[in-house]
Amino acid sequence: MNFGYSPEQEALRSEVQTFIRDNVTDELVEEMDIHSGTDRPRGRGPLGQALYRQIGERGWLGIAYPSEYGGQGGSRIDQYIVEEEFLRAGIQISMIGSGAPAILAAGTEEQKRYYIPRLIRGEVSFCLGFTEPHAGADLANLRCSAVRDGDEFVINGQKMYTTSAHVSTHIYLMARTDRTASKHKGISIFIFPMDTPGLTVRPLWTIQNNPSAPKFTTYGAARTNEVFFDDVRIPASALLGEENDGWRVGSMGLNLDRVGAGRYLISVRRDEDIINFLKSDEALGARLSESEVVRDKVAELWTEAQVCRLMTMRSMSIVERGGAFSYEGSAEKVWAPEHGVRISESIMQMLGPHGSLLRGSPHSVQDGLYAHNVMGSFQSGINHGSVQIMRDQVARRGLGMPSSRGNKAAGVK
Amino acid sequence: MTKCPVCGAEVDVAAIKAQTGTTGGGAREMDPRAGTRQFHDGQWFYFDTIECRNNFTMQPDRYLSGQG
Ligand SMILES: Cc1cc2nc3c(=O)[nH]c(=O)nc-3n(C[C@H](O)[C@H](O)[C@H](O)COP(=O)(O)OP(=O)(O)OC[C@H]3O[C@@H](n4cnc5c(N)ncnc54)[C@H](O)[C@@H]3O)c2cc1C
Ligand SMILES: [Zn+2]
Repeated sequence: MNFGYSPEQEALRSEVQTFIRDNVTDELVEEMDIHSGTDRPRGRGPLGQALYRQIGERGWLGIAYPSEYGGQGGSRIDQYIVEEEFLRAGIQISMIGSGAPAILAAGTEEQKRYYIPRLIRGEVSFCLGFTEPHAGADLANLRCSAVRDGDEFVINGQKMYTTSAHVSTHIYLMARTDRTASKHKGISIFIFPMDTPGLTVRPLWTIQNNPSAPKFTTYGAARTNEVFFDDVRIPASALLGEENDGWRVGSMGLNLDRVGAGRYLISVRRDEDIINFLKSDEALGARLSESEVVRDKVAELWTEAQVCRLMTMRSMSIVERGGAFSYEGSAEKVWAPEHGVRISESIMQMLGPHGSLLRGSPHSVQDGLYAHNVMGSFQSGINHGSVQIMRDQVARRGLGMPSSRGNKAAGVK
Repeated sequence: MTKCPVCGAEVDVAAIKAQTGTTGGGAREMDPRAGTRQFHDGQWFYFDTIECRNNFTMQPDRYLSGQG
């Protein structure tokens, strides 16, 4: 058992850090910022594309993906190291999302060859079309329907909280293909372009909308979306996996999407930011760092953050070895968001009234970063599977407890 | 035109569906102020606000029976 990194991995990390120091500019971070109101798919601007080329040449894109699909066939830990360093610099190069792992596990050869290299290079991005107004925690209630018509499916219905629908090239959609089957059985997954006729997007503004969150806010997205489908015709080749097997494919993808730097750093970033602030030259930070109460709290929270890190390492090691990964990601998704809430509240207490001022206010601390993080921390307990549903998964899959009657319907999320 | 099944306000169906922009990914975009809709039992219902739709989502039968 080794909890550290090998000398080669440490060398990779410092190589990436040097690259970031030399090449990542404020303009680049701005262009790739997912919080800004831009409508441009992430990484598709001129600076982002140049960055993807540069890091691609170094073999740092899609490190853990198979080489026949544009990856490097390398280790997950290496990929994690690269993604972690870029995330710290404010750039998300990982293709976070359930799509890629689901395609690799359930896709046809053609789907793998088309999507995986393009996802790696940032040319294609998916939004997650699962939740509906009446299907959230109880996702299997979904009603968006896909009806087969020869070589096509015709989609009617709507999706809710489709984050990134306005900046994605494709939607990764869960729809009902058999109304007569039991709730979990008649569901299928489809992937198709956002510009397919009959598909429309309507913005929903989050609590981070006005003012917009500063860079480096965790869950700072100002916008999520509703997506409507009016007789949207897609080829049958858009189906991912078997027809009516979408519940299994979708759950597996969601679960695997919980492994890696993207999710872990969301929780730990807040700890790192406040520690850096307390150690900085800023008068408030310097004054606070001398307080015993503050030091005690920060050390306690840092210790909690290390649990997030260890859970992530364990998840990666299970997946890397090809082991069964079921409730471990759910446990991580309970601990990390709740740690995020605890630390965000504690930081507010440490900073006092200035800490609650939002971006753009005079006297705000670090342009309101910590105040915006408080709002984001509450969102992260709900999205991508709420902490209550995650606890239910831990109880059932991890502890072997029976489904409670009320939770029988509650699904993957 | 139709009526919001929750509050009875006039709702302009064409305006709700009208394209007002295009996203970076090429999807048609709609104006959020024009109202919204919900696909319920294979049929679209139209609302002046998302709050009205939330009420409908929670108790559709209450509003559908009210419609007669
Ligand atoms: C910022 C944000 C971004 C999101 N992005 C996406 C996205 O990109 N794509 C997507 O498909 N969805 C997305 N979601 C939706 C998210 O997955 C849902 O909000 C979530 O599944 C909960 O569903 P709901 O909102 O309908 O709440 P509900 O299902 O109404 O649940 C309300 C509360 O009750 C709790 N609860 C419900 N059932 C049970 C139970 N059986 N036992 C115990 N507690 C229960 C829930 O945990 C929750 O706290 C996003 C949500 C947010 C807030
Ligand atoms: Zn109304």
